[in-house]
Amino acid sequence: MKTLGRIFIILFAFVLLSGLMVVGVNAAGMNQPNFGGDGNRPEFRPQGGEEGGLPFRPEGEHEEGERGERGGGFGWIFGAVKNVGVISVLVVLIAWPRSITKNKKRTAAAP
Amino acid sequence: MTEEVSKSTASQTKSKLWVDILIFAAFLIAMDPRSSGLALHEWLTLSMLAAMTVHLLLNWDWIIQITSRFLGKLGGLNRVNYILNWLLFIDGTLIMISGIMISEIALPFMGIQLPQGFGWRRLHDMSANLFLLMLGVHTALHWSWIANAFSRYLFQPVLRLFAAGSKKDASV
Repeated sequence: MKTLGRIFIILFAFVLLSGLMVVGVNAAGMNQPNFGGDGNRPEFRPQGGEEGGLPFRPEGEHEEGERGERGGGFGWIFGAVKNVGVISVLVVLIAWPRSITKNKKRTAAAP
Repeated sequence: MTEEVSKSTASQTKSKLWVDILIFAAFLIAMDPRSSGLALHEWLTLSMLAAMTVHLLLNWDWIIQITSRFLGKLGGLNRVNYILNWLLFIDGTLIMISGIMISEIALPFMGIQLPQGFGWRRLHDMSANLFLLMLGVHTALHWSWIANAFSRYLFQPVLRLFAAGSKKDASV
């Protein structure tokens, strides 16, 4: 029962934030079809543009669009290595100086 | 009594470790939808809501403790951690909601069609990149816990297994 209540609180916070975000984005006009477009290239995808109700993709993006698939292979390894690399750099930059400071404090406190 | 408490703490730490490994692996796969495929990307990230809920439930006591002490006496690191965790939650929600708004497979599969907007796609990309950076800081701030848990529950048991295997070989 306690766990159920906690799950409810988490989901409530999630739904509340989601609602605020949708309202915020709508109010800012960011969900307009021409938002961020350069005026020449149709970057928006009107509803039900293609067969099966799937959204329209600009020409040339059918094979490998912004969210298109790369077609298997080992491409995902490069992506994963890049992301792990970014996290590792941050860990080294933050955790390493902290551990050095901790060790110094420990050495200074030792009789 | 103390033994029971330490046993339950150990099992909780183990659960936390496995849930965190699962979330991290899922995040790495989800971060590259071009390679993993859009279907996997969408279904995996939708299911990550459940994994994130479990992660929050496992750390519930810490959340409550720090929330009640946030305006009072609290160490600087705990304060930074708490704010960063809230930012991660907000950004994670933004990733989810923007992902739902631009969904091409999962939502249409459920028979839901939402109005498409290019702004949501931009927000989805930006919030995902920001999440990666914040996840890096989150990992760094919990590095000693991660290193200890890995050593205690992954490396040491594997080493013990090898040691036991080599002892058996020597006795034969």
